[in-house]
Amino acid sequence: MSQAAQAGTRTSNPDSTARIAMHPIHPMLVPFPIVCFVGALISDIAYWQTAQMMWADVSAWLLFAGLVLGVLAAIAGLIDFLASRRIRELAPAWLHMAGNVVVLLLALFNSFIHSRDAWTSVVPAGLVLSALTVLVMLFTGWMGWEMVYRRHVGVAD
Amino acid sequence: MIPVINSPIEIGRIRLAVVLSAVLCLAGCGESAPDPKTQIGAKPDLPALQQYLIPPMHIAPVVGWQQGEKPAVPDGLQINALATGLQHPRSLYVLPNGDILVVESKAPGTEPIKRPKDFIMKWVESWATSGGDTGESNRITLLRGANGDGKPEVQSVFLDHLKSPFGVALVGNDLYVANTDAIVRYPYQTGDTKIAAPGQTLTPLPGGPIDHHWTKRLVASPDGSLLYVGVGSNSNITENGIEAEKNRAAILEVDRATGRWRIFASGLRNPNGLTFEPQSHALWTVVNERDEIGPNLVPDYLTSVKDGAFYGWPYSYFGQHVDPRVQPQRPDLVAKAIVPDYALSSHVAPLGLAFYNGDALPERYRGGAFVGEHGSWNRPELNGYKVVFVPFADGHPNGPAQDVVTGFLNKDEKSRGRPVGLAIDKSGGLLIADDVGNTVWRVTGPNRQPTNASLR
Repeated sequence: MSQAAQAGTRTSNPDSTARIAMHPIHPMLVPFPIVCFVGALISDIAYWQTAQMMWADVSAWLLFAGLVLGVLAAIAGLIDFLASRRIRELAPAWLHMAGNVVVLLLALFNSFIHSRDAWTSVVPAGLVLSALTVLVMLFTGWMGWEMVYRRHVGVAD
Repeated sequence: MIPVINSPIEIGRIRLAVVLSAVLCLAGCGESAPDPKTQIGAKPDLPALQQYLIPPMHIAPVVGWQQGEKPAVPDGLQINALATGLQHPRSLYVLPNGDILVVESKAPGTEPIKRPKDFIMKWVESWATSGGDTGESNRITLLRGANGDGKPEVQSVFLDHLKSPFGVALVGNDLYVANTDAIVRYPYQTGDTKIAAPGQTLTPLPGGPIDHHWTKRLVASPDGSLLYVGVGSNSNITENGIEAEKNRAAILEVDRATGRWRIFASGLRNPNGLTFEPQSHALWTVVNERDEIGPNLVPDYLTSVKDGAFYGWPYSYFGQHVDPRVQPQRPDLVAKAIVPDYALSSHVAPLGLAFYNGDALPERYRGGAFVGEHGSWNRPELNGYKVVFVPFADGHPNGPAQDVVTGFLNKDEKSRGRPVGLAIDKSGGLLIADDVGNTVWRVTGPNRQPTNASLR
């Protein structure tokens, strides 16, 4: 890993540290929690509209899976962040990280709400938290894209 | 105790503690906890409901009965082990010749994991219902000639290989066993210590695949023509879907001749201890009410059961107190929900009921009801874990419940045993099935020293 980091200094782009064969791990992992948390919002809406418990159960699993995979993505992201002064100098990196800490805390809180029984495991608190989580992810996603597509973090060229 | 505050750091710490405890209160503390005693009787205090982030899960860890230990009883009573080393005894039935049937039973274990919470709940329930793996269960053991020394003269396996049995009822020579999924009839002759004949199913009962509340208490009508069976709900509060609750949270009335049945009463979340009150001949039951809306909600109760009546579950509790966790709501059913007769306080988990019409115990117990309270898991302070007595007059509760058999918890709030089913034996002693201590206890009066007693 450290060799890879040194190799990264040869390019003009800020480099990823947690990577496999020059492929950064963080962007490989982030789609999973994003899909889980967006899915949880969709299944929460489905439960709100139908009162079919299956949808509330789906939400609970998606939140659980999203949290586990989100923590893994956060670890990879944090390694990149801490290991590179050039990444730490980017304002979007700070906003991206802080926002995603909020996302994970919201999802944790939401998991506890979803552990209630029946209707109030989703409506209204669970549904509102799921929607907030997705809204914050839109912002943190934007910051992530800013880093990759505009500041070329971890891009080899 | 009021702490003395004498430094800014300490004040800061206390502020932090207040903030933290306010946050954690979301996770379940009952700061405004009324005394459980205010929730006993016809008009219990019902606080506003609260919803948790993490519900309180506090169950007395099991230590079992050490040599020489036994439950405590008030002056004028004595208690002794009738039989020990049983396999999770949960209910009791006394045959006309005085033989005692001990139903040893385990949960069917067919409840699926539907969401991450269920892993934790299964773990918690494993503390609640078992004193460790005690080997073969799901059978009925017959005890005879028990003199209170813990070793009956006859102890034989009466019926074996049952399916999570609980209720037993004898009418003439027909012995009915309520497994978790069916009422099964066996031929019985007075004096039998074992039944070899295969059983015949009288009627299936709502059983798997979930079978959340699985105990099926059985009682025959006084004329013997009908059987009444308690069927508990398939969830705490419909979290397995309302379709899973078909014919559940109800007492079914079964025609003994044909096996045809109808719903006799409904809205009873987990009815147990079905018994006919000897004076009024009305059917009574104890009911385990819903969890996770506060340490003092909802009180479990003792009630007479009226034909066709609806008692609220899942839509409401204690009459018209609507439970917001249930959708779609049913205002039409809430409007007709009956207030139960007598609250026993919250989360005590009453599973046994026996009216006392013997004469071996002191006069004050005649005509009243003993209730076996298995004990709480869903409140910070333990509640229940004892047998109480509810005085009756003219067929109705009359006065506060009194503790009769205690000491199931030791000083460290660890559980030596937990009472479940109750019965009155032929000589008028009170029998208690203890499913964690794996013992059947017998309470007798002051002048009824068991013959040939070698008391522990």
